[in-house]
Amino acid sequence: MSSLILKRSFNRSLLLSQNPCTETLLVPSLFSSLSELQVKSLHSSGLRNFPSLDQNYKFLLSGFSSFLLKTVERPSRSHFRVSKRYLSSRWRERYRVLTSRICALQRNNSAFSSVLPSSVTLPCESNKDQLHSRRFRMFSTKAAVELSTSHGLTVDRIVANNWTILDESESDWKSHAAAISQSIQVIKKRLQWKKLKLRLDLLSAELNKPDLWGDPVHAGKISREHGSLMAKMKQVTAFEQELLEHIDMIKLAREEDDTELESESLNALLRMRRNSKEKELQALLAGEQDSCSCYMEVQAGAGGTESMDWAKMVMQMYKLWAQRQGYKVTVVDEMPGEIAGIKRATIKVDGEYAFGYAKAEVGVHRLVRISPFDSAKRRHTSFAAVAVIPILGDGSTHVQINESDLRIERFRAGGAGGQHVNTTESAVRIVHIPTGITATCQNERSQHMNKASAMAVLQSRLDRLEMARQAQMNAQHTHSLTEISWGNQIRTYVLHPYRMVKDLRTNYEVSDPDTVLGGAIDGFILSYLSASVDKDEDYQ
Amino acid sequence: MKLSSSACSIARIPSLFASLCRPICSTSLSLSPSSLKPTTPLFLRPPTFSTSLSELNKWHHWAKNLASSVGSSFVHLDNGPDSTLLCRELRWLLEDSLEDHSLISQLGSQNYHMDVRLRASLDELYVLWRQRIEERRPFQYIVGCEHWRDLVLSVQEGVLIPRPETELIVDLVKDVVLDSRELKEGLWADLGTGSGAIAIGIGRILWSQGRVIATDLSPVAVAVATYNVLRYDLKDMIEVRKGSWFEPLKDVEGKLAGVVSNPPYIPSDDISRLQAEVGQHEPRLALDGGVSGMDDLLHLSNGAVSMLKPGGFFVFETNGEKQCQFLVDYMENNNPGKFCNVNIVSDFAGIQRFVTGFINDKCH
Repeated sequence: MSSLILKRSFNRSLLLSQNPCTETLLVPSLFSSLSELQVKSLHSSGLRNFPSLDQNYKFLLSGFSSFLLKTVERPSRSHFRVSKRYLSSRWRERYRVLTSRICALQRNNSAFSSVLPSSVTLPCESNKDQLHSRRFRMFSTKAAVELSTSHGLTVDRIVANNWTILDESESDWKSHAAAISQSIQVIKKRLQWKKLKLRLDLLSAELNKPDLWGDPVHAGKISREHGSLMAKMKQVTAFEQELLEHIDMIKLAREEDDTELESESLNALLRMRRNSKEKELQALLAGEQDSCSCYMEVQAGAGGTESMDWAKMVMQMYKLWAQRQGYKVTVVDEMPGEIAGIKRATIKVDGEYAFGYAKAEVGVHRLVRISPFDSAKRRHTSFAAVAVIPILGDGSTHVQINESDLRIERFRAGGAGGQHVNTTESAVRIVHIPTGITATCQNERSQHMNKASAMAVLQSRLDRLEMARQAQMNAQHTHSLTEISWGNQIRTYVLHPYRMVKDLRTNYEVSDPDTVLGGAIDGFILSYLSASVDKDEDYQ
Repeated sequence: MKLSSSACSIARIPSLFASLCRPICSTSLSLSPSSLKPTTPLFLRPPTFSTSLSELNKWHHWAKNLASSVGSSFVHLDNGPDSTLLCRELRWLLEDSLEDHSLISQLGSQNYHMDVRLRASLDELYVLWRQRIEERRPFQYIVGCEHWRDLVLSVQEGVLIPRPETELIVDLVKDVVLDSRELKEGLWADLGTGSGAIAIGIGRILWSQGRVIATDLSPVAVAVATYNVLRYDLKDMIEVRKGSWFEPLKDVEGKLAGVVSNPPYIPSDDISRLQAEVGQHEPRLALDGGVSGMDDLLHLSNGAVSMLKPGGFFVFETNGEKQCQFLVDYMENNNPGKFCNVNIVSDFAGIQRFVTGFINDKCH
């Protein structure tokens, strides 16, 4: 019941939100009374008190509404924690002080919001849900509000202040805040914040069209993309919000001379700072297919046994890398060279973000060394090409394959077959006749399973082809096309006359080729990913 | 997990088998089930043996060299396996013998004293791989299983190792079963079932009301097929009967919805020239189809007319184009009007391999 009433007043405030907020003087008193009311509701559950209170504050709420509205727009997971503690413990007193202070600084929305919604929503879970859904809807149409502390400090201003960033071990809030703010800027840049917001507005507009669900496939696509962009944005905003709140807390604690609160907030900042590097990394893998598993294919260039041996080394490097990452590696197809190495091979790399990382390896890899296959001990240069194909999840739309478009062949078949032959060789090759795309699998122990694996490879190849086709139609996505297409020379591995591995795209280099070939390629991957994402300077 | 647990029930097979058969075919059982106990496939045996990684490494090195020494000599000799294929088999042998598959990638690493748990003793592994290379004993008998479709079937000497081509029979059945409830819920027969492969493949695509009877003349085949049926938990659906072709099926004459078979079809004169793995190790009973290789195929096509009900479906595997054509002609000439939609279907190697068709509804 109490939650219902609260909801009602809450809704009303939303309805009245069009009214200009002029009665600023009323706000502090209202707010402190309101917060008192919430505290009461929590502790005494004074049901009968509410109707009258609701009546009493009706008029006040109208003037109050614009704050409430902004409040609602904000993801506030963190405040639940903070405010709950305040409300339910000895901090209650302080809470009242804090809220009134904040209300006095009514021009500032964020600090204000950090307390209010929690007090409104705390009494009942269902009410919280309601708030969430409402917030979601509001958010979708109006995403951009600059967050700031009670003193008007924003992430951008913190960075502009150029506060010295000290070591993590130094308990200096400014240093922590500056480091976190920098991270937030990096994350926003990587997510292409401005484009993200534009895209979100576009999707929201689309979602609000009444005839949207006339085409359920399209509608599903739009709402999925909207949901995923929304989630990305909310994560960052929540992080930013949390930072600003802790800064507020620290300032307050200092004024109140509360060392306990100060050190608590300082610790929170430190945790955030440690967390922020990981978030920066996550932001690198924000592409639509980045979280997918993938196939990695290596093909030997011209040059016979030497380059086939090189192709095998490259494949081995990826197998070891994937194992280190904790991915499951399966060899799908392997065509051995006559003397050594492989002509080509395909592995399946199973795990979260396998494609996001592996896509950085697409292109031609060059090796310079004295060939062990050359009796004259001459220096050779060989090439191996790497392709990476995402394996789209069940939620994505796959290309429909007609059974009649396929030609399935027994691989390396010969002789009479049937009962005449006992062989464990059961590889099949599937040819998709309209496109000429083929897939082979020979690693499974039965023909049926080889066929199933080859079909999965074929499906991914056709999906990739379709993505490329759509990307061509959609100029906005041409960037991602170049990312996944068969690229140019990307990296050189020199074993002789000196030892070095150098990425030609980023100039990242390492002087120990053995560890790189042993799977230590994270440095190359991350430097490439950051370079390709960070080059876009305009992030806001 | 499920498979290995049901494999433990192997001890119960004789009694289960007896009770399974008694109500329907008490006459056809001349076999005393307790005399035949199928061998457990290597990968299902408990990992009771142990050795060090370095010893295993030594064995692996030896085995690999032995495989490499073959080169393509077997290919030239009788179209047998080359060393690439043998090396792949070696990896599979390791997979089946090791409790912990992740050790395979660690072979050759420095961690030499590490303890390794095996499902067969290292000595046995030496013997097995020597048999593979020197005696050309089929790989599937070495590990005691064959991966066929999505199944892993137990096989042993005396039972034909199911071939990849034969997998298609199940796909052909799947295609006709899709359109027909009568076939989906009907009674099917797999004649000369061997390891039970086709029967199990079909059992898994029929609806729960569907039934399969698998027959074989060989007591070993009957025991192994029964074992495989139990392993896939299909004992309520598939019944294994001992006997020659249609003999054990007198009680269901004219009631069968489908008949499938991969009968022996190699002409007698060709047997001596077969690849060593086949000719010297697999049962002649499952391979030799008489002078022309057509003896059993003709018998089956004659029997199908009376055994199948109107609209019933059949698939027979043959030796290739010549036998396919002959069989189609034979059916049209000897039983005119009895069959309809008779078709020849090729395998993935492009060889005409199967004859399929229906019993005409109108002729009955």
